[in-house]
Amino acid sequence: MTSYWVIGYLVLLLLTLIFKTPVVRGPWLFLLRSFFPNWKFFHAVGYVPYLYARASSLSSTGKLVWHEWQSFYPRTPQNIWQLFHNPVTNLGLAQQNLIDHFWADLHDAPEGFDPRNLVTYKMLAHFVEVTLREQYPQASHLQFELRMLLDNTSGTVHTHVMMTSPVIAFS
Amino acid sequence: MNWDMSVPYVLSTVDAIHALELLFALSAGIQTLEYWRMRPALQSRGLWTWQIQGQDIPHAAARKFFDFLFTNTALSVLLVARFISLIALALQGANLPNVSFLFLSNIAVLIRWRGAFNGGSDFMTLVVLTGLMISQWVGYFGYSELGWQACFWYITIQSITSYFVSGAVKLLRPEWRNGSAMTIFLNAAIHGPLSKTHPLHTPWLAALGSWTFILWECASPLALLDGRLALIFCAIAAFFHFLVFWFFGLNRFFWAWAASFPAIVWCAGQL
Repeated sequence: MTSYWVIGYLVLLLLTLIFKTPVVRGPWLFLLRSFFPNWKFFHAVGYVPYLYARASSLSSTGKLVWHEWQSFYPRTPQNIWQLFHNPVTNLGLAQQNLIDHFWADLHDAPEGFDPRNLVTYKMLAHFVEVTLREQYPQASHLQFELRMLLDNTSGTVHTHVMMTSPVIAFS
Repeated sequence: MNWDMSVPYVLSTVDAIHALELLFALSAGIQTLEYWRMRPALQSRGLWTWQIQGQDIPHAAARKFFDFLFTNTALSVLLVARFISLIALALQGANLPNVSFLFLSNIAVLIRWRGAFNGGSDFMTLVVLTGLMISQWVGYFGYSELGWQACFWYITIQSITSYFVSGAVKLLRPEWRNGSAMTIFLNAAIHGPLSKTHPLHTPWLAALGSWTFILWECASPLALLDGRLALIFCAIAAFFHFLVFWFFGLNRFFWAWAASFPAIVWCAGQL
């Protein structure tokens, strides 16, 4: 009898791969999404969102002098002990997940929507400000961008900017 | 172990329960210690400051509750309580209050990280925890054995599904079939990019690696045919998760899926 249940389960699995079901959304569903596992890991290659930001200082003539754009894409070195304790890398992965969610929020937003109302925008703006303030204590303004990068096996083959923030004064 | 395939290999329910409790306590304990170390990222100067992130909570009353729960002190107390609870799970085994607390506090911690901290490992952690909840609630009504059976089957179905779906969706993608997806994902990984001389830049080696994992993942339901096959499957799975950790930094995946292995081996012995 159990064998029939297992076969039935496999048939059901195959059917779920063939037929698409509508996506149900909602703020609580988003916060409780771990109850609805998505096992499609690393399945599709495509554009990946990267956060870039830059800081500027006021010159003696009152003009903004910008530093270079810098990437906020997390990179950490490998270490075997991280199998047991890996907070820095996991924080980096969570940061990139948040950037992915920011991209998804922008993608789903209606035409003319102000992204500054998004929680993801506010979180990233705050993060960029704190990080740049540590790097450039004299800086007065910042700006950040969400860039979409398409890679092939040898490197990035195309980039486009999805969103550029206004110039923001440090709070 | 008896390798005579005409004699079924059966993992005893008691051994499976102990192994599941120990591995889950280890997995969730590693996560809890990491959350403890990450607390600065949750404070006012961190990316995850609740002052901003709390705006995600849609109802005022719920927001008020979480505003209290996610103060630095309350969250620290919650993490300490979770760690003690996990030690108790490893030493004394599961019981209804303990597992219920772990379940509810797990949901709270996930909400603190906008619903999921680490994606797949959060899903699998919740799957195993839900299995433990099933075992305890069904046991509470006097059907302890049935509760553990339901727990093991729930975890096994989810775990086998995770491998199968992950393999099947890759099989449908041309970039996975020709191996290029593996190289692209490894270059973009947190420990990437691959060095210029790395073997996976060789297309046929990348394709071979891709096909090996795709076929192994798609064959995962076959692990249920025999307890010994399930043991071999779990050993390969542990190696696979180690590689995922090594290249992508996903240490939590290794432990979260390892916690599901006792259930897979137990279920394979029942068919």
